[in-house]
Amino acid sequence: MTAVGDALPPFRIASVDPEAMKVWAVALHDPNAIHLDRAAVAAKGLGDRVINQGPANLAYIVNMLRAALPGGVIRSLDVRYVDNVFEGDDVTAGGTITAIEGPEATCDVWLKAAERDLVIKGVAVVTLPVDPE
Amino acid sequence: MSDTPAFPPPPDVAGTSLSGAEPYVISAEENAVLCRSTGVEPDADGEAHPIYFYIATQVGMGVTVAGMCAACDFDIEEGPMMGSSSVTFERPLLTGQPYVVTGQIRSLTRKPSRLFGVMDLLDYELSLSLPDGTPVVTSRNSWALPRRELAQ
Repeated sequence: MTAVGDALPPFRIASVDPEAMKVWAVALHDPNAIHLDRAAVAAKGLGDRVINQGPANLAYIVNMLRAALPGGVIRSLDVRYVDNVFEGDDVTAGGTITAIEGPEATCDVWLKAAERDLVIKGVAVVTLPVDPE
Repeated sequence: MSDTPAFPPPPDVAGTSLSGAEPYVISAEENAVLCRSTGVEPDADGEAHPIYFYIATQVGMGVTVAGMCAACDFDIEEGPMMGSSSVTFERPLLTGQPYVVTGQIRSLTRKPSRLFGVMDLLDYELSLSLPDGTPVVTSRNSWALPRRELAQ
């Protein structure tokens, strides 16, 4: 059963892996060194850890939605990127159901980094599976 | 008297086509590696991770990210920052399926920035459709392009 006000079970990545950033760099055709080279990050004054790609951060929210609402189909996402995620960060995606109209659930969604709080915030609409009862 | 700072105008890039020349195909192998990199297993029936809305449109559009930035008179080495994304899915994304990428720059707006002094806000839209024209994904992204040199 799904109801307005329900918190969506969180999806956690305990430590963001810099090796995963290499996978994303290839997939996105994005050789930006801030995702691959700590020295490049430091040279830009952004710290001493490589920075996760923004779409990878959004993927954690997608994973959360798909696990929290099994059989549901994501219809839309509307998000703002608020902060960076760095290698080694402990990040958690979560959300809350704010409305249900017919088969569609509207959810506030977010990604938070344990060290710095909000990274992404937004709204998702998911078509829920038909309840056989 | 206006309160608006007198910045030079940004390049007039609204309407610049981002449509791709060749369809984009989501590789099943790449999808599997990418899914695992985010902590989940790939779908056994060929559905791609929904985040391919972003990957397929970015890689399949008609210019590179560096090229899109250059059109905005911005050096990618200056570090564009993702501002927002919105996407609507008409149907799931599948591995092995060719997707036609179309899109355009909607606007480039110059404005004061608390963080950078001055920034350009780049707003662009990209869509995926099947080769027969059936719509699959409509997305819209915004990026902040820091213009620190204009704040001096």
